[in-house]
Amino acid sequence: MLEVRALDAGYNNKAVVNDVDIQVDDGEIVAIIGSNGAGKSTLLRSVCGLLPVLDGDVIYEGGSIANRPVYQISRAGIAFVPAERHLFPGMTVDENLTLGAYPKRPDSDRRALIFELFPRLGERKRQAAGTMSGGEQQMLAVARALMAIPKLLILDEPTTGIAPSLAVNTYQSIATLRDHGIAVLVAEQQVPLVLSIADRGYVLENGSIQLEGSAAELRDNPMVQKAYLGVA
Amino acid sequence: MTAAILDGLVLGLQFGLLGVGLTIVYGMGGVLNLAYGAMAVASAIVVSVAMRSGLPAVPAVALGILTGAALSLLLNVTIMRPVYRRRGDQRVLLSILLTIGVAFIINGYLVWKLPIEALSLSIGGDAISILGVPMRVGSLLASAITILAGVGLILFFRRTTAGKAVRSVIQDEVGARLCGINPASVRMLIFTLSGAIAGLVAVTRSMTSPVPVSEGFSLTILALLVTVVGGLGSVKGAMLAGLILGVVNALSSFYIGSYITTIVLLVAAALTILLRPSGLFGEYT
Ligand SMILES: Nc1ncnc2c1ncn2[C@@H]1O[C@H](COP(=O)(O)OP(=O)(O)OP(=O)(O)O)[C@@H](O)[C@H]1O
Ligand SMILES: [Mg+2]
Repeated sequence: MLEVRALDAGYNNKAVVNDVDIQVDDGEIVAIIGSNGAGKSTLLRSVCGLLPVLDGDVIYEGGSIANRPVYQISRAGIAFVPAERHLFPGMTVDENLTLGAYPKRPDSDRRALIFELFPRLGERKRQAAGTMSGGEQQMLAVARALMAIPKLLILDEPTTGIAPSLAVNTYQSIATLRDHGIAVLVAEQQVPLVLSIADRGYVLENGSIQLEGSAAELRDNPMVQKAYLGVA
Repeated sequence: MTAAILDGLVLGLQFGLLGVGLTIVYGMGGVLNLAYGAMAVASAIVVSVAMRSGLPAVPAVALGILTGAALSLLLNVTIMRPVYRRRGDQRVLLSILLTIGVAFIINGYLVWKLPIEALSLSIGGDAISILGVPMRVGSLLASAITILAGVGLILFFRRTTAGKAVRSVIQDEVGARLCGINPASVRMLIFTLSGAIAGLVAVTRSMTSPVPVSEGFSLTILALLVTVVGGLGSVKGAMLAGLILGVVNALSSFYIGSYITTIVLLVAAALTILLRPSGLFGEYT
């Protein structure tokens, strides 16, 4: 459904991500792992239209979406949850969710699913997003993205600022999205956690893909074990 | 004293709505439209000219409000384009420079072509007593229209999806884009609405005192004061700030004299900035 081809992306016309090829198939959970500054966020931002595609192409459902406006990419079915979340702080949980569905009316089944995945949000529908805890805001950011009924959900480090026990819950929730036909592309530094639910993964370092494979292959790879899994 | 306060409230409602029109544009795109007062005056003059050429008041007023909306929309699709391509300080500064230019053009044209034109909508009828103070029907009608418009705007921003989309762009433009909202079309809507508000305020104001062609810059400055006191981008804040400044204005012209009132208003605004840098309600309402 998503194919990133020989993508260059970066800032001020200087690429920090070079020649990256990535693919996400229908209903798949794909992880991008890499250390700080590897270029994970840069890659995801350019796929979503927040950064220009300097070279290469991004193909979504058969057509190029490279350098299309963010709002069009969003309406085409790609929901992005950036690491900075970009919630609407002065609006309630409910209003944030309503806007997630924009331009459609909020779907009641989808709302029910969200409150099932994140019961905390159901208890706080009238609370202003800006006054919620970091973990709650992260849940809301994912929930808002899901309100768009996306075909592809892209997450940038969804567990930043979340306690380790809750991070496990977050990934369990993400894993259930597979049953709803939502494909997931997720950048993460908590490698064991993300590989426990992913189907496949890519290792991104210094702006290019170093390694790719199934989650099991990556877990068993000596280089991955040494660099990210703390195995000597 | 009661009379002065009531007069202040009548004036304050109009100040408030005037500020709303400017503050939503600022909150939206971080631009200041200093041609705002000139657009209000242009609307008023259109109403005046239309009525002199025989158009009845209601369609003339509608035409005036449409003029404000159209002027503002035109501004948005022409000289605002390069402004939106800039970010931050550059964007504000460029918008200030360009809209001052537009203000001079509108103002200059009106003063040149229609130097003594002024809109003065006199509403007949006997004065009505409120709290023992006789109030002119014009003041009451102007206040009623302003309150209706203010409540309508607040409901629009709170209740409707389009209104929520507007607030979302004000609060976090990246977040809004990620939700599928096109900031450019939201800006277009807000600019048009702002112009319509300018036109409406010019009309209601002319029910209590004439609006001459030369009024543009003082309306812009008033709107700026209200915006600053109310908090940038806040509708509720602007309405409240308008009421406060209206009462301050009336009391100070009652006790001190009207020549010093502008200074009192400026001091009041400056104090608010010192005490509450983000205005009465802050930025998120
Ligand atoms: N706004 C920016 N302007 C210029 N350079 C940037 C900007 N943001 C990131 N970079 C640079 O791009 C490179 C990749 O950064 P990126 O944020 O994509 O890494 P990341 O893999 O997401 O890291 P982290 O795990 O810390 O979030 C880094 O060298 C960073 O300094
Ligand atoms: Mg990152």
